[in-house]
Amino acid sequence: MMEFFQWLEGIPFSVWVREAPTVWAYPTVLLLHTVGMALCVGVAAGIDLRILGLAPSVRLSPLEKFFPVLWGGFFVNAITGTILVMQDATSKLLNVDFYVKMVFIALAVVTVRLIRKRVFTNPRLDDGPLSSDAKVLAALSLLFWIGAITAGRLLAYIPSFA
Amino acid sequence: MNLAHVHLLLNHTPTIGFGVAICLYAVAFFGKNESLKRTGLVLLFLAAVLAIPTYISGNFAELRLCPEGECLSGVSRALIRSHEDAALIAFCVMEITGFLAWLALWQWRAWQRVPGWNSAAVLVLSLATFAAMANAANKGGEIRHSEIHPPGDAVVAADQAEPGSQAAGDAAAAEKTGEGEGLARWLGAVMSGTTGVAWLWAASETIHFVGLCLLFTVVLFVNLRLLGMAKSLSFVSLYQLLPLGMIGFGMNLVTGIGFFMAKPAMYDTWVFYWKIALVVLGGVNVLYFTMLDEVWAVGSGDDAPASAKGIAASAIAVWLGVLFCGHMLPFLGVSF
Repeated sequence: MMEFFQWLEGIPFSVWVREAPTVWAYPTVLLLHTVGMALCVGVAAGIDLRILGLAPSVRLSPLEKFFPVLWGGFFVNAITGTILVMQDATSKLLNVDFYVKMVFIALAVVTVRLIRKRVFTNPRLDDGPLSSDAKVLAALSLLFWIGAITAGRLLAYIPSFA
Repeated sequence: MNLAHVHLLLNHTPTIGFGVAICLYAVAFFGKNESLKRTGLVLLFLAAVLAIPTYISGNFAELRLCPEGECLSGVSRALIRSHEDAALIAFCVMEITGFLAWLALWQWRAWQRVPGWNSAAVLVLSLATFAAMANAANKGGEIRHSEIHPPGDAVVAADQAEPGSQAAGDAAAAEKTGEGEGLARWLGAVMSGTTGVAWLWAASETIHFVGLCLLFTVVLFVNLRLLGMAKSLSFVSLYQLLPLGMIGFGMNLVTGIGFFMAKPAMYDTWVFYWKIALVVLGGVNVLYFTMLDEVWAVGSGDDAPASAKGIAASAIAVWLGVLFCGHMLPFLGVSF
């Protein structure tokens, strides 16, 4: 396993991202990861907070149009996140916190998909009060995204186990 | 021109500017003139926005006055410390006042009236801010204006102590290091983890990221709608979200000032100057969405006017710019 991680770290692209003395390498990849987070979690948090009762006069059904922004940010982060892990594989892939982050993201994605499927498919979405199921999903989604951000930030502080 | 000069230019806005704003607001408050009251609130809010670069540039002015930890002749480190602490307190009260002034403008637009508690809170807090800011300004003036020192001043006494005496030696040592003095330095040390709160920096970074996401919730929903996405949403409904963006910004202002106080010299770089300049632009930008009729009139299904689209695009650019500058601090600025 360790050999595989070392190989990942050693391929020329990983070396370039990690070591090239240009702002277009590591700094730009990390910047895109932050912008992707702003798009993805920004939209997800807005939808979650609206379901939880914030800004009640904003109709929920038109907010469905913002899902592509959310997924756009998510895929930017899937790609840049993969690059960030590759260039530091022997450390990141041996860090418990990294797997905590992945679990939070997986759970957050499940809640977002459930909100889209269960809440937004209701044709009378804006006609009555929202179900408590919708509110539980929204609260969980918010919690999982905050968990993912926290675990992600702490990757810079928690040492890997090897 | 350097950052010390910028501090000298800006440092009159939180006192003189705020004073003018309070006078306007107080006259309108007691004279029950609604439009004059709103003018006062706008000025109070703008003074609070400009207080951000004023507070920050003060630290850069100190770095110019005391390069390499050694102050220019005639400059007292103790006076700088006492000015910094007074300015920190005044800055905190002013930001709370500025937020409530903005909230009053928001409430006026949303409900056509400002609740009595907030009108009164703005009046009382702005008077407290003015007192605290005048005190800070007075202490700031003393740093380079020996003509205003009261005779027998404790700080002047240090300069006048017998050369070679114990008192003069102690004073000189404290002057040189500037360590262990004052509230701002203590808070900065707590933030940087050197006094034992090791997790505070990491926790603040996490809060800074969550605040960024909340701010972007509002930036994205409001501005993408004006640019044509999800047109069935009226601006009036999205207007309810603005305080959420302000709360996100507030989280980032508190944690951001914390980072800055811990290591001011690390932020003495053009990427950070740009970040703060863009934050000021963002503050002006939010007034457009809070106040102007043309954007308020964008109803369900309406296409926003070209000027509103321009402002919406600029808002996204400004906040992405703030994010860019913050992110690039360790790479394009002074290395952390």
